[in-house]
Amino acid sequence: MRARRHPWALAGLWGWQSALAVVVSWPAASFVASIYGTPPRRDGPLWDSGGHALLDFLWHGARGLAPIATTAEMALGICATVGLLPAAAAMVAIAYTKADRRPVGFVGSAGGAVRAMPSLLWLLLVVGLAQAATVVLGVLIAEGAQAWLHDGWGEQRADRVAAAIAVVFAIAASGVGVMHDLARAAVLCRRLTGWRALGLGARVFGRAPLPLWWSWAWRAVTSWIPVLAAAAVAARVGGRGGGPLILLAVLHQGVVLSRVALRTSWLAKALRSVHAVDPA
Amino acid sequence: MIRPVRWAPGFALISALLLGGEPPASAPPGLVAPPFDDSALPEHADDVVDYTLRATLDPVTHMVHGEGTIVWRNTSLAPVRELWLHLYLNAFKNEQSTFLRERVGGRGSSPPEDWGWVDVRRLALRDPDGTATELWPVAELHRPGETDETDARVPLSRAVAPGESATLEVVFDDKLPAVVERTGYWGSFHMVGQWFPKIARLERDGRWAHFPFHHLSEFYADFGTYDVTIDVPEGFTIGATGPLVESRIENRRRVERHVQRDVHDFAWTAWDRFETLRDEIGGVRVAVLYPPGYGPVARRELAAVRFALPYYGARYGRYPYDVLTLVHPPEGAREAGGMEYPTLITSDGAWWDPPAVLTPEIVTIHELGHQWFYGMVATDELSWPLLDEGINQFAEIDAMAKWRGEGSAVDFAGLRASDAAVQAVGGNMAVHDEPVAQSASAFSNGSSYARLVYARTASVVETLARVYGDASVARALGAYARRNRFQHPEPERLLEAFRDAMGPRVASTLRTALFDKGWVDYAVDGVGTQEAQRLAGVFDRDGKREKVDPGASAEGGWDSFVLVRRRGTLSFPVDVELTFADGSTRREHWDGEGEWQRWAWHGASALRSAVVDPDDRVLVDMNLGNNVGAVSSAGRWAPRTFERATYWMQLALQAVSP
Repeated sequence: MRARRHPWALAGLWGWQSALAVVVSWPAASFVASIYGTPPRRDGPLWDSGGHALLDFLWHGARGLAPIATTAEMALGICATVGLLPAAAAMVAIAYTKADRRPVGFVGSAGGAVRAMPSLLWLLLVVGLAQAATVVLGVLIAEGAQAWLHDGWGEQRADRVAAAIAVVFAIAASGVGVMHDLARAAVLCRRLTGWRALGLGARVFGRAPLPLWWSWAWRAVTSWIPVLAAAAVAARVGGRGGGPLILLAVLHQGVVLSRVALRTSWLAKALRSVHAVDPA
Repeated sequence: MIRPVRWAPGFALISALLLGGEPPASAPPGLVAPPFDDSALPEHADDVVDYTLRATLDPVTHMVHGEGTIVWRNTSLAPVRELWLHLYLNAFKNEQSTFLRERVGGRGSSPPEDWGWVDVRRLALRDPDGTATELWPVAELHRPGETDETDARVPLSRAVAPGESATLEVVFDDKLPAVVERTGYWGSFHMVGQWFPKIARLERDGRWAHFPFHHLSEFYADFGTYDVTIDVPEGFTIGATGPLVESRIENRRRVERHVQRDVHDFAWTAWDRFETLRDEIGGVRVAVLYPPGYGPVARRELAAVRFALPYYGARYGRYPYDVLTLVHPPEGAREAGGMEYPTLITSDGAWWDPPAVLTPEIVTIHELGHQWFYGMVATDELSWPLLDEGINQFAEIDAMAKWRGEGSAVDFAGLRASDAAVQAVGGNMAVHDEPVAQSASAFSNGSSYARLVYARTASVVETLARVYGDASVARALGAYARRNRFQHPEPERLLEAFRDAMGPRVASTLRTALFDKGWVDYAVDGVGTQEAQRLAGVFDRDGKREKVDPGASAEGGWDSFVLVRRRGTLSFPVDVELTFADGSTRREHWDGEGEWQRWAWHGASALRSAVVDPDDRVLVDMNLGNNVGAVSSAGRWAPRTFERATYWMQLALQAVSP
């Protein structure tokens, strides 16, 4: 159960995210092209350092951009829910092989994912609420501590204490997220219903919480490094087109793929962890 | 004063991780103003009014007891029979004040959490025989039917002749408000501004420039010498206008005397938790007072002063004072941040502001600029806010651009927006609403005030710098600031300086922009190209009649044209860049005087497109989207936007993906 042995599962996830992204960005780019689409520089001025043309465009184009923003919100909503399907399909592809040890293929993966959807949606709702509650509680306690300590300890110390509390709750919320992934793995790997899968996920997590959390965390943190590097490159590319733009596009897609790979690698780890435990 | 920008903490934290190179330590060579002979600058202002005051702070009740003398000289040509006193703390006394009744939005819009006021206990005119006549019993705190108590009329017991001085004895008690609009307290932090009864300015013609404290307005007063002794508990640190000339501890109280001549206001601060950073920059002793934990921000602010003090000095005339105090208020007192007083400015920004969020630098450089445009060039801030906030906003964006380059406002994740671009678009948003050159109290709301006074003025002047050259504007503003040092100029003096340095057309443009809601939009309105054709018709040549059919091909080449329009009431010379099918480009120059310009020519290659103002010099152009015209509208495409939008959307989708 290694993600790297299933490149098509990674490609499928990347393809799903990319297709959805293109659905949103295409109208945005078309709108921009209606104003800044002509040669010689096309939309180059919008990305020039200084930002004058971009700010001017955002002002004049605010009404045109509003429906595009709505489309983006819809896409995000779809991805947060329907996105379960491709993620689950990727996990099925990693977890199972045919009798002849060949991959289960697209149909097999998709079929397994569809069958697991009710339980996965139940988990999404229940664990999502638990995660949100953890975050809200953390914010409330952090703000309360900040207000309480502010006068006596000073602003900076109070802010740091609040930040520390927020970090603790963020870690707790991420722990809930790790348990969520383990429960998903249990649904797909052990074909359990939502409630039993949650129980198994909690049991697996309880056996080795820190190693499992760290296994998730290092991948999550590492996945931001290429994003930061790409931002620095984008700043240098600015409004240039041609070769620099193509290189930037390749770099960006490399970033997206590397993040997909790291995420899938963690899901494979979750599958292995659940697989190693007796569900009874 | 600056309208502070509140950056989203998330944005700030992320950008801190992304960016934040160290800025250059000083002005790049060759980017300062052309040399002026500063030896001719006046050493001192005309000393009109001298305040000798003692202020005693009770930090528990937030009361300041004040007493002392005011020596005022009648500089007008007419005898004076009444004085006008500004009692601006009364703006926060109740909701009947002009300040709190003017619901124009923006800073200070909510009533203070604790009211503030000034009670004059005694005001007496010293008579030549050494006795004193009480004036306050006959003073008129407000006009009949009015309720505002910030602008008091004081009939004098005797007329003060032109050139004669009058000595007033004054006793007053301030109750500071919870910090609001530049003044007040927060815990034990006290920012004490507009705290003493202050004589309005008497114009040369005998007219008093007095006015209540309006919500959007700042101040106006005569130059003089302030000799103020401040008495606070021993554990407090004081920051004040002018150098410290005497300091002692007595009865567990800290007593400091600050004396400064050639200024027109005095403010001070006291807090028992200030930390201090000191430096000497070009002979000026600079102190930064900041809350615990703000050390990195204070160092950034000091770096900004280190750049801007010599830069402004070269550009607008040397800084004439020995000291500069920069106060960074604590978080709960941010309403006191972003304000200017003579030799004392207040900054803004959170302790965790990452280097890419330039709030501390921008606010510091803005408020420092006010030492020239408000401090030394002491314009009437009610009547002509463009002369202080507007011109100073230009000084800010100019200095920030010279110091930090194109990312002088936002430098985040590959996006760089300059302060100038932000101001330009902000100013364009409001240009049709109201004129820039009007009284602060005449603006319909705070948003228009900010967009027009700050943003529009700055972007108009920046446009002049881009079109006619930075050195020309540096000459104009440098001359204006120097000629009017320690003066109280009106807008005509500004226009005169631009006329002298840059000619009548520029002065006229500036007048239209500031007084008449001037605007401009350059647009490529037509682009065409076709294979060169012979003229059709019947021609008599060499005794023969020849008929040429329409569409008959010429011997080669292409006929092309471009039509560029200038809409609006402002005009600037612009370039038009033409791109041809063979990849070659050429530029045409248009003086911008007419309403349109058409170029037609015959060339070897077909025209592809035209761009008006390709170097983005006309910052006030209302719509940059129509600055490009192409022969064919087919094949429109925005590859950079598509690439980045797709990538950002992919990242967003990954963030929400299960």
